[in-house]
Amino acid sequence: MEITNPTPEQNKIAVLLDDLASLESYARDLFSFLPLPVCLVSSIGIILETNPALEKISGYSIEEIIGNPLEKILSKLDTKQLIKETLEKGSVPSQEIILTTKDKKKVYVSASTLLRKNEQGEIIGFFIGLFELTTIKENEEELRKSQSALLNMLEDVEEEKRKAEEEESRTSAVITHLTDGLLVFDSQNNLSLINPPAEKLLGINSDQAYNKSLDELAAFIDNFKPLLKVLGKNIKEVSRQELVIGELTIEVSSASIGTSQKDHGGSLVIIHDITREKGIERMKTEFVSIAAHQLRTPLSAVKWALSLLMEGDVGELSAEQKSFISKSYDSNERMIILINDLLDVARIEEGRYLYKLVSAKLENLAQAAISACREIAAKRNIRLEYIKPEKEMPEIMIDGEKITMTIQNLIENAIKYTPPGGQVTVSVKYDTNKATVSVKDNGVGVSQEQQNRLFTKFFRASNVMRMETDGTGLGLFIAKNIIEAHGGKIWCESKENEGSTFSFSLPINH
Amino acid sequence: MAKKILIVEDDKVLSDLLGKKLKDAGFEVALAYNGVEGLDSLRANKPDLILLDIMMPEKSGMEVMEEMNKDPETSLTKIPVIIISNSGQPVEIDRVLELGAKDYLIKAEFNPQEVVEKVIKQIGN
Repeated sequence: MEITNPTPEQNKIAVLLDDLASLESYARDLFSFLPLPVCLVSSIGIILETNPALEKISGYSIEEIIGNPLEKILSKLDTKQLIKETLEKGSVPSQEIILTTKDKKKVYVSASTLLRKNEQGEIIGFFIGLFELTTIKENEEELRKSQSALLNMLEDVEEEKRKAEEEESRTSAVITHLTDGLLVFDSQNNLSLINPPAEKLLGINSDQAYNKSLDELAAFIDNFKPLLKVLGKNIKEVSRQELVIGELTIEVSSASIGTSQKDHGGSLVIIHDITREKGIERMKTEFVSIAAHQLRTPLSAVKWALSLLMEGDVGELSAEQKSFISKSYDSNERMIILINDLLDVARIEEGRYLYKLVSAKLENLAQAAISACREIAAKRNIRLEYIKPEKEMPEIMIDGEKITMTIQNLIENAIKYTPPGGQVTVSVKYDTNKATVSVKDNGVGVSQEQQNRLFTKFFRASNVMRMETDGTGLGLFIAKNIIEAHGGKIWCESKENEGSTFSFSLPINH
Repeated sequence: MAKKILIVEDDKVLSDLLGKKLKDAGFEVALAYNGVEGLDSLRANKPDLILLDIMMPEKSGMEVMEEMNKDPETSLTKIPVIIISNSGQPVEIDRVLELGAKDYLIKAEFNPQEVVEKVIKQIGN
């Protein structure tokens, strides 16, 4: 039947049909455009229709999917569950399940379903929409990882901070509880740190002292003046410099904190209080000095009484009596020498060993010392020889008495420690800027390892200790102090059992 | 007439020994055992020479010399003084020589005989 004039109903239907067709195309377009994988599934789980988004996620083509059961892409259990729930409740809101792709990869998806019925209300299937979670999962995982990394980092930072704080409090405790005073000056030489002992020693409050340079500090606190004098404005390096601050004696050391020569990172100044040590040292010296004085008087009485006896002032003595008295006298003399040496040492240590400089010829002093030793050399059968300087000696400014004493001490030692029949040679040499006196013997010598200790107080070499008990161990210590006070040097060259040469040199100032 | 020596020395053994030695050498000897006694004795006896210790009770040898110098009659230019001390400290030696002492002897380093010789060197016998 040809329809030429359509009835209004027919027109209506035609319009409706058109609408329907366009709606269908709209639905299809939307379906295929939708980035979300969607399937229309029959009530027994056969996929009736799907969209390209599922192709993309599953790896199967649409043709491979349609007509297949849902288990093709979902697990059996998930499928059963989904169908059951959808049929019962009409829909399932986003349930997390696993989709297996064509190449057996597992993809996390969130599935939602919606039951479909026809006009008669009969169930014709359901829609299932899948929302891919992998990226989210990955992001989540990523997030979790970065969160934990962040937490770890935070923990590390926290730990570092705690360590730093601990370190700081430890350092600060060390600095605070040091018994020594400590000052730190920054690169501009301004005070940046002072510990309590330094505050106490210098009589200053840290608040007044910070950020001030040493000369600024010295300007308003007298105690800093001696420090400034020793260290200078720019804090030069010093080591254990002794100085007096008020009633205290302190030892100052300073060091640059900089890492290199150019980089002046500031300075560290350490103040060590030696007041007590100084006091003890002084008391010791005073004790020695007083004891020696007190000992000298009774020793003088013994000496005088014995010498009166020896000289027959109180009646003639028998030869035997005389011999005993003479021996007692010698012992007493030794005691006096020891006391005199102790007094000299005490004076050296007190800084009261005064030097009287006179213009003298070293050669004359050497000859005087040799003359004084002739008698004991002869007694011990030692040849005592003198070698004159080649050139004539100039006069030099020295303490003649003490230098003579030093030469005499060296000769007496040489005689004492050389077996009878040996030889002691004294020579004087003269260079342009120094004069040298040497005393050479062919005696017992000193072992290599003991040579550097020879000039220390009370030291006596072990081989010498064995052969003779006499000797104070002070002679060379005193000699060294005398020579060094003259700006000279004293030394020893020796070989055990072959002999020793003791020499000293004095500078000549033209 | 024998020359008069005053020994001012607080140690009795030393002054006895020295006194004996000087008497045997023909001197007249007076003994004083501290600085105050020494001053009294020298004013009363007008000795020809004084042997003077430094460290003594009451008045030290230094003070004795200082007081002697205040009176022209007893000044050290008039009465020679030889110091007999045991200190031997350079400052002490310098000071006594400055005050006018003729000599300084460290007792432990001299025999009585040598002291007598020093006395004779100063005033003869």
